[in-house]
This record gives sequence, structure tokens and C-alpha cells, in this order.
Amino acid sequence: MIRRGKGVGCMWYPIGFTVAANPSAATVKVNEDGTATLLTGTVETGQGSLTVLAQIAAEELGVSTDDIHVVSADTDTTPMDTGAIASRTTYVTGNAIKLAAENAKKILFEVAAPLLDVQPNQLEAVDRKIQVQYFPQRCLPIADVALQAQFVMGRPPIGSASYNPPTVGMDPETGQGKPFSTYVYATQCAEVEVDDETGEVDVIYMSAAHDCGTAINPMLVEGQIEGGISMGIGFALQEEMLFDDKGRQLNPNLTNYIMPTSLDMPEIDVDIVENFDPTGPFGAKGVGEPTAVPTAAAICNAIFDAVGVRITSLPATAEKVLRAIKEKNNSEQKFIPAAE
Amino acid sequence: MVDEVKVAEKTEKLESLRKIDDNLRLPSVPERIAFPKEIGVSAARMQTPAVGQRATRPDGRMHGLGQTKYIDDMFFPGMIHAKIKRAGIAHAKIKSIDVSEAEKMPGVMATLIGSEIPVNSFGPSLQDQPLLADDVVRHAGDGVAAVAAVTEQQALDALDKIKIEYEELPNVFDPVEAMKENAYKIHNNESNVYATKTIMKGDVEKGFADSNFIFERTFTTQMVEHVPMEPHASIGQWDANGRVTLHSSLGRITLGRADIARTLELPINRVRVIATIVGGNFGGKNEITTEPIIALLSKKTGRPVKCVFTREDEFISSTTRHPFVMEYKTGMSKEGKIMARKVRLICDGGAYCSWSETTLGKACILSAGPYNIENLHVDAYAVYTTKTMTGAMRGFGAPQVCFAYESHMDDMAAELGIEPLEIRLQNAFNEGSASPTGQVLEAVVVRDSLEMATERFGWKEWQR
Amino acid sequence: MTDIALIVNGENKTVSVPPETTLLKMLRENLNYTGSKLGCDVGDCGACTVLVDGLAVNACLILAAQAEGKEVLTIEGLSTLEKYHPIQKAFEDVAALQCGFCGPGMIMATKALIDQDQDLTKQEIKDALSGNLCRCTGYTKIIEGVVDAYQEITGKKIPATKPRVA
Repeated sequence: MIRRGKGVGCMWYPIGFTVAANPSAATVKVNEDGTATLLTGTVETGQGSLTVLAQIAAEELGVSTDDIHVVSADTDTTPMDTGAIASRTTYVTGNAIKLAAENAKKILFEVAAPLLDVQPNQLEAVDRKIQVQYFPQRCLPIADVALQAQFVMGRPPIGSASYNPPTVGMDPETGQGKPFSTYVYATQCAEVEVDDETGEVDVIYMSAAHDCGTAINPMLVEGQIEGGISMGIGFALQEEMLFDDKGRQLNPNLTNYIMPTSLDMPEIDVDIVENFDPTGPFGAKGVGEPTAVPTAAAICNAIFDAVGVRITSLPATAEKVLRAIKEKNNSEQKFIPAAE
Repeated sequence: MVDEVKVAEKTEKLESLRKIDDNLRLPSVPERIAFPKEIGVSAARMQTPAVGQRATRPDGRMHGLGQTKYIDDMFFPGMIHAKIKRAGIAHAKIKSIDVSEAEKMPGVMATLIGSEIPVNSFGPSLQDQPLLADDVVRHAGDGVAAVAAVTEQQALDALDKIKIEYEELPNVFDPVEAMKENAYKIHNNESNVYATKTIMKGDVEKGFADSNFIFERTFTTQMVEHVPMEPHASIGQWDANGRVTLHSSLGRITLGRADIARTLELPINRVRVIATIVGGNFGGKNEITTEPIIALLSKKTGRPVKCVFTREDEFISSTTRHPFVMEYKTGMSKEGKIMARKVRLICDGGAYCSWSETTLGKACILSAGPYNIENLHVDAYAVYTTKTMTGAMRGFGAPQVCFAYESHMDDMAAELGIEPLEIRLQNAFNEGSASPTGQVLEAVVVRDSLEMATERFGWKEWQR
Repeated sequence: MTDIALIVNGENKTVSVPPETTLLKMLRENLNYTGSKLGCDVGDCGACTVLVDGLAVNACLILAAQAEGKEVLTIEGLSTLEKYHPIQKAFEDVAALQCGFCGPGMIMATKALIDQDQDLTKQEIKDALSGNLCRCTGYTKIIEGVVDAYQEITGKKIPATKPRVA
């Protein structure tokens, strides 16, 4: 018989390395026409980080995402970056880029200020313009200012900066300290169907509410969450590296190592929890790893809700679930009808 | 019966095909690569302010058009291919390695063994891992020799001709067994435990004494592979200035470069790492793998050398997610408040340290969950075993402990007759809560996320 | 060496390769069409999916010689200098691809599916893509992209799935 159940999994997760320095540096070069080139040592590994980083640089310069060209991942040309690890790119590299863009913008403001008859600190960069705060009609196109800076004033608008999340070392005896600059929080809920005659578990629906601070690009955040859930489903139900008694892996191939396919995916509803972290670039934190964290917990709790057995060892394969159901039935010594 | 008309038709078609452009046999004729001359840019990319826009990805367009050049899509003139011989035995002393037969195989241009590598060790926290094992093999996927040949198949064929004599050593597969004093010491250390972490907050014993109920449960998790769709790949080119350029599917190039320079005993400025686009990382491509090996093979042969992992290499020799054994003991008040928690984590660290120390640290801090717990004691251990090494994988220990603390939570909720959502809301962090390490937390939205996810789910109305 | 004559992306080709060469290897190494990817080389992952006479096949599983006289379409043959193919556009618009390694295979499998000119449901799309593995996206945005492309190309609508009742 198919039994349905619901389960919830809640988690917290830090951004960046545990105490250890994990700096990022960046350079932003504003071109004569107000577009810009961003140099970053981080690596695009699929998550869309280069687009998110371009959006951060664009926001600071008051231009659009398409106005930023990103050069990345070459140790000869791009500045130091700890890399695509520990869900740190948006937060750490993003902060470095925001600061670098701010430094480039400072030059633009210094060039624009006398032209607009104000002090540099009275200016802002909005919608491809350098304008006087509260008097947006007094403005110059960023392209004009950049050209002026480059070829009249002889001050190419280039900014560099670095960022390292502030931490406090942990006491070796008690572990007390501030290992991370910030954390994100998330909850996922799973609805499952468990066949109590075969032990097979089918995840039919998941809702996920993730905090990532400001969502710099909500479409890419959703993509991360959906991808994390699929990895979480694999971890919860299917994937396991198996070894023989000599320590050789029995399933070193995708035929026998069962990762989720399109057929294993449930319907997913994603919500982004509104939040603003004052220490992040425009309030952003990160989203990469946390998306894969609470899925297995939510699914196992849903199995518990559906058939009353607690899976204590992952993955919750059909064999394991069925064994647990049988043990439970035996221990309860319930009358089981011969036919249902 | 043979349909003669059809056969004749086919022959005619083939003949006509053959006649048309014989000169296309020449490899130098460029192939037609079709992509639109002009494609519009999505509105979201043109808008200001940029933050919050659903901006499309320029690299995403290239992926869809098949124009992205991953490492395996790059070909350099004169490039040859390297493959790595895997031990196939989990724990053994290497008595001898003989590559002479392999070197005689057709197409083979060079071989490399561990003793030829200037500094044959690396690792992000402990440098305990050889690039190619030259003394002891500590897991079945350990590389023991490399071959560079004209084609990949020739390199693979030559691997079979490498003769290695092993003296088997005792295997230690279970991390709990490996912790015992009499266990075989895999790295000749005093103990197989190579990292420990502790968190102590408040007074757990008093917390347990004040509790109405005590719950205990042990949870375990399995070893999982990242399975990036693109296997690890790199191309090395040694040049006349003694400088090496490595195109590599590496997720952290700056630190990778330092590791590569260290193993090759080169000044860092003689190493250039270019990562292009990586076809999936998930933590598995945060360490160097074969880069120094192909650099040396390139130096030996004077040619660009490419090494792409087979899917099997990817499973047996790259890092994986740590299996954990997690013992939880929690004291609860009858109202459902967590009074005290004691956690013991044993992390199966595999053959080498890799990112285990970091994983252990994060797991240790996160193991209490996003809940206010005044009395907490966590002990965590990373242990060597003779299995595939474990390293960073999406979550650094968090998916494991989350599975444990959230399962444990529902167990307790069921026993106490409290709704799972309620028990979480009751204990969840607030703005300004102190974390297990005493850090005051800001921008905390545990409750909001609980309420949002359950509302979207229809938690309260949900019926079986 | 075997001489193979075939049509690739609409152009006649004659290629000379060792007899054991797979279609994938020939496309990638002899013809420079590196869009089709090698993810496993044993037909598990689908990253090498191409169309042979209109059918989606794993190019790593068939020999180049088996494509003799056939029409092969790879990811490079979808768009033209004038027109961006609707499947590729739909995938870009919804950010269906993350690392993108599965992308060419996914898109070719999608093309084979849409070319069948049948009324599709979401479940049928899932079925058709189940031989193409993706580790990044959880398939959700990919399926969204397929739905958009299907509706764009055929002018049909995917029937709405029954709303979930909690």
C-alpha cells in the first residue's frame, strides 16, 4: 500500500572558510564609454558566479549587467582569489568587487565633481549617469565622465580592492570564537509516497525557503536550490559508493552508481527568504552549498511520518526501508491482514 | 532476400558523397561552426539597477550553442595524452615498479613514477598525499604511474604493461575500528585520528540533569561522489623558459598554483593556471590532481600533454563525501525545549587528509543545528582508513549532521507529542542568539524560512 | 583505416579513421565538432547525444563506421548564421544550463523529442530526458526550457498539471 508522509528539515550554514583567511581581490577598469572590465581570480564552475559578480560591479557603477565584461580564472592576469569553494564567491569575491568598483567610481566622482559644481561625496552613480544626490537632473553620462577622466584628466578610472571575512580564532579547548563572518538559514519540506510492500520511496513534492541575503540574481538562486535538492535526493535515497572486501569500489560507473535523473525529481516550489546582511555586497550572502543540506533530513522525516520507521543510516534505499518496516511490524506484533 | 534496388541506391549515394569533396580529408580545412551572427541581449541584462535582475548568462548561451571550450575540447599542435595507472589494491607497500615494457609500447613517449616528482606530496591542510604513490599505496584508486602516448588508447594499453610488485598491508576500512589503539597505523602516526575538534558551551551534565527526557540515537551516512558531468581534465605545456602553463578544471587556481609550484620546486611565477569553464565542481575540483604529473610529462616530451580522467578515475581517485558516524544525546524539557546536547562525530577521512580537517570543523560547529542550546558538548574526529579519500563536497559535513540533528528532532517531537514545526519554532535561533561557538548571530531568519517553506507546502492543511 | 562517408550538419564529409573509432571521437577529433561531450564513454550520461537520421543516439556507443551514409546532426548544426534555434534560445532565457556540460546532449535529445511532432505532457518530457544526466540543475529549469521551446516551435500548449492539493 502507498503511504504518504510529510517531513521538514531546517538548517544553518556558514559562508567562507572556518577562521582561516580566505581572501579575494578584484580589479575593475572603467572603459572610455562607461562600460567596464572586471578581473577576478574566481572560477566559473557552473553556478553562474560570473554573472552575479558582473551584477555586483554594475550595481556599484550604476550601469547594467551587460555593461560589464568579466575576465576570470587565469593566474597570469587575474588577482588572487581563494576560489569557488565554501559558498564564498558572492559574499567574499562580491565584497572585493564592490570595493574595487567603489575605488574606480571614486575617480569618476573626482573628475565629475568640478564639472557639476559639487563635491565628490555629493555624487551618485545611477542608470549610467553620474548625478548630484537629490538633484538627478544635474547629471553627466558616465561615458562622458569616463572619457574625460581617461583622456583629459589623465586619470584612468581603475579600482582594485580585496576582502577577507573578519573572524575570531576558536579556543582550542572549548571551540569558542567567531569562526565565520555570517551564516545563511533554510528550510525544506518534502512530501513522499512510501510503498510499504517494497520499501520504495518516491519524493513527489518539495518546498524550499532559502535565505541568501539579497538575491543578486533570483533566477540563478532558484537554479542553485533546485540543483541542490536533486543532489540531496541522491544523498537521501540512491547514491552510495560500495566497496568489496579488498577495498575496491564495486560501482565506479554511472550504470551502478545511481544518481538522480529527470524521473527522480519531484515538483519543487522555491521561495527566497527576504533578508539583508549589512556585511555582504548589497546585502547578499550565498546559496551554493546550503541547498543540498536539509533535503535528506526532510525526506527521512517524511518517511518517518509515512510509515513510522526511522532511517538512521543513509541512503534510505528500498531494501533498508522495507527491512525497517518489517522490523517495526514484528516488534509491534500487530495483526497483519493476509490481503489488503 | 537482398533488396538489390536499395543496395544500388545506397552504393550510388555513397559514391556521390565520396566524390564531392575529397579535399575535406585534409585536416587543415576549417569546419563550419554555425552560430547566429547577431543575437539580442535579454532585457534583464540591460536594466539598471543591476542587482535583483534575472539576468541571463553569456556563458550559458555558449553552453547551449556547444561553443564552450572545456579542457577536453582544446587541442594543441603536437599534443599527446596521458593516463594514470591505478593501484587496484587498497593497502600495500610498493616493492618495485617496472615501466620498461610500457615504454616499448606503440605510441608511448614518456612514463612517470612518483620518485621522479621533486616534492611528491600535497594537500590543503596536511601534505600527506602523494601525486603518484612511490612507497605505500593507501587506497585502491591511488595513482602509481603515468604514461604519455600519442593517443589515449595507446596510453591505456601501455598502462597494462606496467609491472608493480606489492607487499600487502592490513586493510582498515571501518573508521570506528581505525580509531582503536591496536589498529594498523596507515600513515605510521601514533594514531589514525588525524584531526580532532571540540566545542564546549555551558554545562552539559547539569543540562542533562535538568532535563525531563533524554534521547539517544546513532546515525550514519554513506560515501558519495560528486559526479561532475565533466571529468577532471588538464593540459600542461612546458616552455623554453622553464615555465609551465596548465589549463585545468580547477576551482581554486591561485592556491592550486602554489601547490603545483611546490611539488615541482618551481618559483610560483613560473606556473600559470588557466581554469576556463569548469563542467561542475561541487567541491571535487578544489584540489590539484594530475597537474604536476602532466607538467613533468610535458617537460620530458617537449609536447603539450592532456590528461582527462575516465569516469572510473573520477570515482576511485577523486575526493568524495565523508561517511560519518554521529552519536547524538539530547536532553529535553517536557515542554520541548532542548536543555543539553552531546554529540560525537567520527568522520571517515579515507586514505588522505584532503579537506577533512575543514569538513570536521564545520560539521562540529553545525552539528547542534540552528537551535538555541545552552549546554553543548561536541567532540569530532577525522580518521584515516584505506578507502578512497574524502574531501570537500557541497556542504562540508553539513548534510550529514543535518540529517542527524533533524531526524533526532522529529524522534523527540514524536515522543513528546509536539508537532515537528512547533518544536523547531520553539528552539530556533533568534536575532542575536549565541551560536555554539558563542558568536552573536545577525540577520537570522530561521523562523521566517520555517514559516515560508511550510506555508508553501501547505503544512497545516496537509492530509495524508 | 576505414573511409567513412556521411553527412554532418548538412555537409558531405569523408573521413578516414581507425575502425574502432566511435562516432563521438570522430566528430570531436576528426571533424572538430567538440560540442558533443564525452562524460562516461559507455552510454550512461547522454552528454554525447547527437541525431543520426533524426534519432537521438549516444555517439559514444556507435562506431563511426555505423554512421556511414547517414545524416548526423550535432549541436553545432542547430543554429545557423541567421537564426538562433528556439531550443537554444529557450535554454538561455531560463538559465537551464549551469556548468553546461550536459547541455548539448540535453538539447539534442530535446530536438529529437520535439521533432516527433506529438502532443507532449510534462511527464513525457521527463521520460524522454531521463537518459541525459545533469548534476547541476535538478532538471527543473531544463524542463522549463523544453516546455518553452516546444510551445514556441509547435504552437501547442503543454497541458497544465493538476494543481497540488496539500
